[in-house]
Amino acid sequence: MNPPRLEMRRASKIYQSNGQKLEALHEVSLTFEPGTITALVGRSGCGKTTLLNLAGAMDFPTSGEVLIGGHATSSLGEDELTALRRRRIGFVFQFFQLLPALTVLENVELPLLLAGTAEARETARERLQWVELGDKADSFPYQLSGGQMQRVAIARALVHQPEILIADEPTGNLDNASGDQVLALLRDAAGRFGATVLMATHSAEAAAIAGTHVKMRDGRICAVEQA
Amino acid sequence: MRRLQLFRTLILRPLRRDLLRTTLTILAVALGVGVVIAIDLAGDAATGSFRSSLETLVGKTDLEIVANGGVDERWMATLASLPANARFEPVIETRGMIAGVGAVTVYGVDFVARTAGREAGKPLPQNADAGAVISSGLARRAGLREGGAITVTLNDAARTFHVAGIAEAKDAEFVLLDIATAQQALNEYGKLERIDVFVSPREDFARVEREIRAALPAGYRVEKPGTRSEENQRMLRAFRWNLRVLSYISLVVGAFLIYNTIAVSVVRRRPEIGVLRALGTSRRWVFWLFLCEALMFGLAGSLAGIALGRLMAEGAVSLIAGTVNSLYVSSRPAAIALGWPAVATALIAGTAVALASALAPAREAMQVVPVEAMSRGVHEHHARTHAARNLAWAVAIASIALPVSQVGPVGGKPIAGYAATLLAIAAMACAAPAVITGLAGVTRTAARSLFGPEGMLAVRGLAASLARTSVIVAALATAIAMMASVGIMVGSFRETVIVWLNTQLRADLYVAPAARAGAGEHPALSADVPAVVSSLPGVEAVDVFHALEFEYGGQRASLGAGDSEIVRRYGRLRFLPGEDRETILRSLPGQDRVIVSEPFANKHGMRAGAVLALPLGDRVVKVTVAGIYYDYSTERGWVIFDNSTLAKYLPHQPPTNLAIYVRKEADAAQVRRAVEARLAKYRVVVAPNRALRQNAVVVFDRTFAITYALEGVAIAVAMLGAANSLLAMVLDRRREFALLRYLGAAPAQVRRMILLEAGFLGVAANVLGLALGFVLSLVLIYVINKQSFGWTIQFHPPLALLAGASLLVLVTTVVAGIFPARAAARLNPIEVIHEE
Repeated sequence: MNPPRLEMRRASKIYQSNGQKLEALHEVSLTFEPGTITALVGRSGCGKTTLLNLAGAMDFPTSGEVLIGGHATSSLGEDELTALRRRRIGFVFQFFQLLPALTVLENVELPLLLAGTAEARETARERLQWVELGDKADSFPYQLSGGQMQRVAIARALVHQPEILIADEPTGNLDNASGDQVLALLRDAAGRFGATVLMATHSAEAAAIAGTHVKMRDGRICAVEQA
Repeated sequence: MRRLQLFRTLILRPLRRDLLRTTLTILAVALGVGVVIAIDLAGDAATGSFRSSLETLVGKTDLEIVANGGVDERWMATLASLPANARFEPVIETRGMIAGVGAVTVYGVDFVARTAGREAGKPLPQNADAGAVISSGLARRAGLREGGAITVTLNDAARTFHVAGIAEAKDAEFVLLDIATAQQALNEYGKLERIDVFVSPREDFARVEREIRAALPAGYRVEKPGTRSEENQRMLRAFRWNLRVLSYISLVVGAFLIYNTIAVSVVRRRPEIGVLRALGTSRRWVFWLFLCEALMFGLAGSLAGIALGRLMAEGAVSLIAGTVNSLYVSSRPAAIALGWPAVATALIAGTAVALASALAPAREAMQVVPVEAMSRGVHEHHARTHAARNLAWAVAIASIALPVSQVGPVGGKPIAGYAATLLAIAAMACAAPAVITGLAGVTRTAARSLFGPEGMLAVRGLAASLARTSVIVAALATAIAMMASVGIMVGSFRETVIVWLNTQLRADLYVAPAARAGAGEHPALSADVPAVVSSLPGVEAVDVFHALEFEYGGQRASLGAGDSEIVRRYGRLRFLPGEDRETILRSLPGQDRVIVSEPFANKHGMRAGAVLALPLGDRVVKVTVAGIYYDYSTERGWVIFDNSTLAKYLPHQPPTNLAIYVRKEADAAQVRRAVEARLAKYRVVVAPNRALRQNAVVVFDRTFAITYALEGVAIAVAMLGAANSLLAMVLDRRREFALLRYLGAAPAQVRRMILLEAGFLGVAANVLGLALGFVLSLVLIYVINKQSFGWTIQFHPPLALLAGASLLVLVTTVVAGIFPARAAARLNPIEVIHEE
């Protein structure tokens, strides 16, 4: 039997600041399967972003484990982690985080270039077409609207067909119409590409596309609801 | 108090947080100020005061009587008979060499007169006329005591005197002989260097001076003491000015860096400024806040620069003194004195440059609207859209620089040349954004092909941070331009001198007294030496040269006489275009005609055909300039007679050099050995042609050592700025680098990207710097050098040297990026991305 795509086993995260300990996450145990969308909901500071960072292997639990494809992230070396991000994980941020010096097409193909993948440009064009921004390939980010920038960011996040897509407040900076477009793309990512989408959000509309809602409070999981 | 708190919070605290960058900025200012101070202090010390050491012993003279070719001592009797309450003292002043010590001044004075009842000066020891009196400073250095013996090489002979006494004279080093002893030692019977005049305070000084002038012949001069010192200082003025201007280049580079630092500070604090304005802080206060930040850098940098400058002056003194002694006049460096004027100069220079550089960014800061919404991206966008406008400005400024460079000297200084240089630098700075954008566009594809995504990101990153990148590239390019232009000028000069040496030095052997220590000194050969050499088998011809220092038009120059027929037959003397060598040299013998060197002609505004009124001995002789020849032996300038003409006016002038032409069929080495053997009893140097030429090139290279040192400092300041700016860029773009880590970039890729950016910075700076350097070299060679020193330099750019230096700068720029690259790779992506 295949191990879950992403699994957290009693994962906790404690930060030290000025000699004081802050428990951002307390013994979280969750499993995520391919083609699913999970929404993390809760107030600011409840631990959503910490959980996303652990899931994306950008951070490591103080205790417990985070396993991707059955491998604990804390056991991986720097090179293996880099490889993980290049092949299996994609990120979408609230504030888009496009590189202003690069064109739209160059932003999308960047993960493939960093990984040394062949035909990066063609693949990037296809992704841009998928998000319906093929005509903006040579534009710069400052020439796009917020919604367009987020769609480019999604194209970038999915250009290398990652198994896991981490989205932190993907519609937090968008108007309703743009937000709806972005949510449709996230749904498509799970449905068409089989990505495991893990999304932190305050938005009810965003949460509505998720099959699973994880409610969090003070670093703990209050409830896990199936939509 | 509120304002001080605002300054502390908004300015001081961030500077303390960014301690490394703050230190780098202060260090850059300190280096720039330090080098300016060092050149001034070292220049003052190296050129000394030229005042006679004799003054410390015998008191201050009121007047000096001098003449080109020496004063005839018979005039002493005439002066003594004048109806004036004044004393007239004969003086001989020359230079001698002491083994283990070097060159010292040797005075000949009338011991009897000076010890017999004096109004001023210190008493001389008893029995001083039987030997030599040496100064306490010399006694200490040479380990001599009263009763001992001292051997001094005077002209071409070694003379030993017993030490009859030690004269207390602080650090001055000299040997004092009785006038008769000195005349005998120098074979200059009946001749004096000068007559010192001491006028009684009870006398009418002006009347006495009139009487003296009336009694003396036309060729004699009556001068105030210190006139020669002033002449020497004037001679050195152009040299010192050019060194000063070179040292200011480091300050100019520092100015770019201060501008960049304050500009970065403004950009980073835009949101804070916006909030402050919304809370009621006035525009003027914002303006003064950032000016105060610049003032802080200026003050701290200046204070550090004073200490650094004092230290650097120690090294600079020997370099400058070497050049002064080789090319201008013999002088012994004085102690370095850091006085209040130098301190004030440092403080004013450092703070003025800092404040001037900060004006534009501080003005920009005061324009920030309340609740600032402008992001850095829009700021950079403005820089990009203004690149074309700035390029237009560059063209406009450059087109003004060209006619400015054609303006003649002002007060003997190439002010217009300096102004044209500054305009050219300003034009380059305006063109920098367009050049960077253009280079980025042209190299984009190649960068990506060669270096992958790191190359693409590096080139894009540079072009995207145009406002900041263009300033650091301009600073680096200024330093590179200085290096390139001076390198081209020195390389061209060197090549010109080498070609000149090959044409000028045609004899096989050269003979000169061993006592020659520096420029402006012409020790004599014994009268029989030319005949001894001429009689040797294998010797075809001997050109006997007579040289002496003289004063003309308030400036020091060299007068010489040789055999123009030998020069015509064997030499290849080059004259200015349009002047026929054969005709000129044939016209000299027995005539009141001279040839003058190009520096002399330029200094005194002369052309062929001009008439000079030359004081020679007791006459003023009118001579015609037959031709102007190229000469690079000294900036002082030469006036050359044929021997037959000099003999008419200065019949007893001793020979100073011999140029020996060996018969074609003779063995030159054997002839040399024969000459050395026959002249063994004289202290002379016999140099073969090749050795003389090689030595001349060595001296040439040594004289520019201080210039190379200044270039090094300018490059160091620029490198500090590059490291500082790259670090600032890393801090400002940390979100970008963190994002790259999220996208799968390895830490090594982030490092490589920064190093590539540093490399591209270096490439852009090299392109701009070399282009500007080429232009500045033309200004240096054809304007500044010509107006300062009067030389014609042929353009010979040393391409290999320039290529090597450019590569070194490129490598150093990349090295400057190592620490920022490591800082970027070590960033914690989570902390950075989620800072908002």
